[in-house]
Amino acid sequence: MLEGILTGLGTAFQLQNILMVMLGCLAGTFIGMLPGLGPISAIALMIPITYGFDPASGMILMAGVYYGAIFGGSTSSILLNAPGIAGTVASSFDGYPLAKKGFAGKALAIAAYSSFSGGTIAAIILLFAAPSLAIVSLSFQSSDYFALMLLGLCAVAAFAGKGNVIKALLMTVMGLMLATVGLDKSQGVERFTFGSADLYDGIPFLLLAMATFAMGEALMAVLRPKSEADKQKDLANQKNLGSMKLSKAEVREIAPVIGRSSILGFIMGVLPGAGATISSFLAYGAEQRFAGEKGKEFGKGSIRGLAAPETANNAACTGSFVPLLTLGIPGSGTTAIMLGALISYGIQPGPQLYTDNPEIFWSVIISMYFGNVVLLILNLPLIPYIARILAVPSNVLIPMILFFSLVGVYLVSFNTFDIHLMVVFAIAAVVLRLLDFPMAPMLLGFILGGMMEHNLRRSLTIHNDSWSFLWERPLTLSILVVAGLVLAYPLLSSGWQKLRAKRSTLGAGEGG
Amino acid sequence: MNWLNYRDRIGALLMLVFSLGYLSQIDNIRLLPFLQGGAFTPRTLPYVLAGLGIILSLLLLFKKPPADDDGITHWKQLHLGQAFLLCLAMVIYGLTVRPLGFVFTTTLFLIAGFIIMGERNWKILLGASLPIAFSFWYLMDQVLNISIQAMPAFLGGGG
Repeated sequence: MLEGILTGLGTAFQLQNILMVMLGCLAGTFIGMLPGLGPISAIALMIPITYGFDPASGMILMAGVYYGAIFGGSTSSILLNAPGIAGTVASSFDGYPLAKKGFAGKALAIAAYSSFSGGTIAAIILLFAAPSLAIVSLSFQSSDYFALMLLGLCAVAAFAGKGNVIKALLMTVMGLMLATVGLDKSQGVERFTFGSADLYDGIPFLLLAMATFAMGEALMAVLRPKSEADKQKDLANQKNLGSMKLSKAEVREIAPVIGRSSILGFIMGVLPGAGATISSFLAYGAEQRFAGEKGKEFGKGSIRGLAAPETANNAACTGSFVPLLTLGIPGSGTTAIMLGALISYGIQPGPQLYTDNPEIFWSVIISMYFGNVVLLILNLPLIPYIARILAVPSNVLIPMILFFSLVGVYLVSFNTFDIHLMVVFAIAAVVLRLLDFPMAPMLLGFILGGMMEHNLRRSLTIHNDSWSFLWERPLTLSILVVAGLVLAYPLLSSGWQKLRAKRSTLGAGEGG
Repeated sequence: MNWLNYRDRIGALLMLVFSLGYLSQIDNIRLLPFLQGGAFTPRTLPYVLAGLGIILSLLLLFKKPPADDDGITHWKQLHLGQAFLLCLAMVIYGLTVRPLGFVFTTTLFLIAGFIIMGERNWKILLGASLPIAFSFWYLMDQVLNISIQAMPAFLGGGG
């Protein structure tokens, strides 16, 4: 392990890779700050640029972009009450009220310190957790992988939020359906190509990600523009940031919050499907309960209420790399797009990555920590200047985002069919967004679909076309049972709540 | 309110149509003769997915919509015209980028995009389009060696 860490350190601290982290953090902060654009769009926009890089540098750049985008998202949450991504929605609950009170600078500093601490603690846990899991996962067979991927997809539903379970499942199924387009890899027969040679290789992942996220979000901003009064209010927040210094009492107040939220965030990040959003809401809720009397200040500009989600979402980002690096299974939309990028470099993440490409495995982990340092020492002082990007009018910004999305995909294939396919997917994504359908499960289903089918087929071939491996291999069966429970959880919990509500109504009726 | 006028139900109906369309295409997947009786053919997963899609769509269609689902009543406030024109500009970009060359088409696309978004200042229209198109082409073609035809085909292409 020590050898691996040294290799990773050697790679991560090469001059060009240090520049990559810095560039990634800055670019990510810029993009993440634009309302509507989150880390998925930021990373998608970066993929075409990194094609010429070696895989380690490419991944280091993207890890930097990831952190930067989360930090940038927090900035727009605090200054504009317009979270770029779902993961920073909870940050706006107390961050925006703080900014309105004239403490925007302080709120941004708390966000930066909390993100740094959360990311650092999680990176240290990752340093020890990832290799252990990678070693264990070497004994995994294709049937276990199939079961794990199924678990990941089921978890999407479990964490989808009340009332959204069916929609999340439908979008996952849609992603899986889109993944079946193209030549069937094991038998070479065409599926859903409608005779078009342009579809033989299937739908490119980058195309789908760009169309549904970067373009979809830009078009949503066109459909629902901000009012003039809101724009003026936001401009005032950007101009009067106030002091960025924290008092000793404030540091003492948020320190335990950061400790608790880091661990909670990391654990939630490791779980497939949970990620930054769920962890930030959970940390916010948990701290509100912990705070006792002070919990009443939550939502009105509490520094604890800002520190908790900011810590947890960054810790979760780091945690989400555990299943990606060790099992090759993405747990969130963002890690799904990173998996797509790794595959495009010709690298298959999973336990083999740890043994075959230790320089990538370790340099990504180490650059994550380095990314946090860069965010703190480089981005924080630059915030007043970076915040000016928010003043770029949408008249100019939106056509640029559309152009970078189009050209990012076109320059990979040089096929104009891809441009038209993107427009079709972007329109479909906008319609689905207007109908409140989540996009991330679709992306996750799409990237896992092909791998899941491949592993299932391999298992069947190994077991002479018998499905018995599903119940004869204890590990596979255990994961499948967990997947079943995870899928049933939302149904069981809503049934249980209804039953309790019925009982309490009956009790009240009897009492009265 | 009309039974169908809920976002959930409209979405469910769209998903149902998509799943049925997907199902109808599965039989077009050709199976190799010696693998037709196999436990898992290229049609197996699509059948499972189509079935799941139909079941889930029907569940959503007949589920009670949430209280905040007010259907498509707010859709009239959406800036549909601008979004449509931007999509049209993208389609035209796809059709013209090869015959007219990258720099020319990109400049036109960006200018059209800015105008659609309401920008009328000519300094911004030209200042934010031509330099971006040219510098992007230069970065790709001259620095990163990704060959892009800069000029229209009748002018020799360039790049």
